[in-house]
Amino acid sequence: MFKTQLVYRFDVITGVVFSIFKILLACILWSAVFEKKEVVSGFTFHTMLTYYLITGFISQLDQSAAIGWQVSSDIRNGRFSKYMIRPIGIFRYFASQSAGSTAFLLIFNVFAAGIWIFLFKIEFTMSSDIKCILAACVLIVLGLLFMVQLHYFIGILAFKFLDVTALMMMKENIVQFLTGALIPLALLPLAWVQAMTYFPFYYISYLPTMLLLGRNSDECISGIMILVLWNIAFGIINAVTYQHLKSIYDGVGI
Amino acid sequence: MLLRVIFIIGGIRNMEIINTENLNKIYMRYEKEEGLKGSIKSLFNRKKIAKSAIENLSLTIEEGEFVGLIGPNGAGKTTLMKMLTGIIAPTSGHVSVLGYVPGELKNAYKKQFSIVMGQKSQLFQDISAADTFLLLKEIYNIPEAEYRKSLAYFIALFDLSDYLHVPVRTLSLGERMKMELVAALLHNPKILFLDEPTIGLDAVAQKQIRGFLKEVNQKRGTTILLTSHYMEDIKSLCERCIVINHGKKIYDGSLEDLFDRYQTCKTITVSFDEPVSYHTDYSIDMVEVNPYKISFMADRKDVRSIVQDIMHTYEVNDISIEEEDIGSVVERIYTDKGGDFH
Repeated sequence: MFKTQLVYRFDVITGVVFSIFKILLACILWSAVFEKKEVVSGFTFHTMLTYYLITGFISQLDQSAAIGWQVSSDIRNGRFSKYMIRPIGIFRYFASQSAGSTAFLLIFNVFAAGIWIFLFKIEFTMSSDIKCILAACVLIVLGLLFMVQLHYFIGILAFKFLDVTALMMMKENIVQFLTGALIPLALLPLAWVQAMTYFPFYYISYLPTMLLLGRNSDECISGIMILVLWNIAFGIINAVTYQHLKSIYDGVGI
Repeated sequence: MLLRVIFIIGGIRNMEIINTENLNKIYMRYEKEEGLKGSIKSLFNRKKIAKSAIENLSLTIEEGEFVGLIGPNGAGKTTLMKMLTGIIAPTSGHVSVLGYVPGELKNAYKKQFSIVMGQKSQLFQDISAADTFLLLKEIYNIPEAEYRKSLAYFIALFDLSDYLHVPVRTLSLGERMKMELVAALLHNPKILFLDEPTIGLDAVAQKQIRGFLKEVNQKRGTTILLTSHYMEDIKSLCERCIVINHGKKIYDGSLEDLFDRYQTCKTITVSFDEPVSYHTDYSIDMVEVNPYKISFMADRKDVRSIVQDIMHTYEVNDISIEEEDIGSVVERIYTDKGGDFH
């Protein structure tokens, strides 16, 4: 997948250039808010921009939605057969594919983030606590793995329902909100935030970002444990679902 | 292991590597009325219909055989291939390939076969075939030396070196199909399933692929099960063929016997030195007639007498006797309602 990404040079360049828009919008929106206030829910203007930069960075690393679309489309069109006949773990194959895309984006996004920090003169306020940085990295990896599992699960539901477009779109909207990619979850009522801590989405980009900003360090261990448990649960759900649903696959079109 | 024991006990008997008994496959489909009203109605109430694709099909294939699987569109050939490779599960019946139940999709089984589908590419379109081959090397754990040797062999056999490093999507159909075959054979599978491998190819590419498959079967001992609508593929490659129609096996035996049974006519073409007006008491179907040349189809049993008559009666310049076109023979097999020619 890493090699595939490099094939299309135009795509590589535009991917880097277009990541500017989210930062630009955040800049416009929050500069208006911070005109009257110095601090909003503990965020200064620059920590807010840093927040957007980091969540944007993490969100872009997650390329697993492509798995959901690809798996469901391949099942519907009969192309899924080519994975079934190879001596590979099909989930592992798609996870590796997603990891390839992520590795590619990691390189180019670091480069792009550096440019935007310089251009927007953002005072990048990241924590220097090694424990927090390490915990954030572990959470990011576990979060990416969870998203791969979630999208693979939605994808293989196509064995039963054939078209999972509505499910994918619904998931995308919910995940965008729950991961804090739209607005920092700290801005929401406390009860909402409390409820979200039992679900994996809270730990995918929001908590790692907060840890990198030097906040919420008391949630490191519980966050890692909850994400590990969700990953195990979805690993089991995926294995059982695949075993159960593959028998109704018709492999149409070949 | 069990198969190996059978082979040893059996002594002279070849090893059966594919076995099916009373295999059945029923597809469930939904029927929807046409138009917007039909679409809305089908949201609440869909009509389910069952279509039998394979019916009580039993067959055995031995190691090293090159078997042709023929039948008209929708006969059940591809469904059978899909069940033998484990892509789909049979509705009922028994299927065993290399001692495995294909539907269990065990990696140990998947390492021992390959399937090439003429209408479905298994290569990665955006990267080169060389990169796909490297990926397959890792997937099948092919030792480096063996991989290099196999690749060099296939590159030389197909003269692939010029387009090994360009993206697959830029290859012509013929070039892509050669790459598909190489990808399928790199790990030296025991069985190769081929579903229309020459579809859409020009005569030169078809001939090249036939030569390649013959060599793989003879030199590597790979068992091959081939479906093709091009009868030339079947005729030039397979000694044995299985004919399927409406999901049922209607013939299983040597290609020679099949033609003896169904090839009822021969085409006789005669050219004369002088203009003639030809007529005969035998029942014939005239294909071409002019004063200097006639061409007609006659019953096989009458051919000898007809030729003798012509030679005695006319001044013949040239005479040729051709077997009936293979396509016509197969058409006769498909439309045969007997179904008892096992």
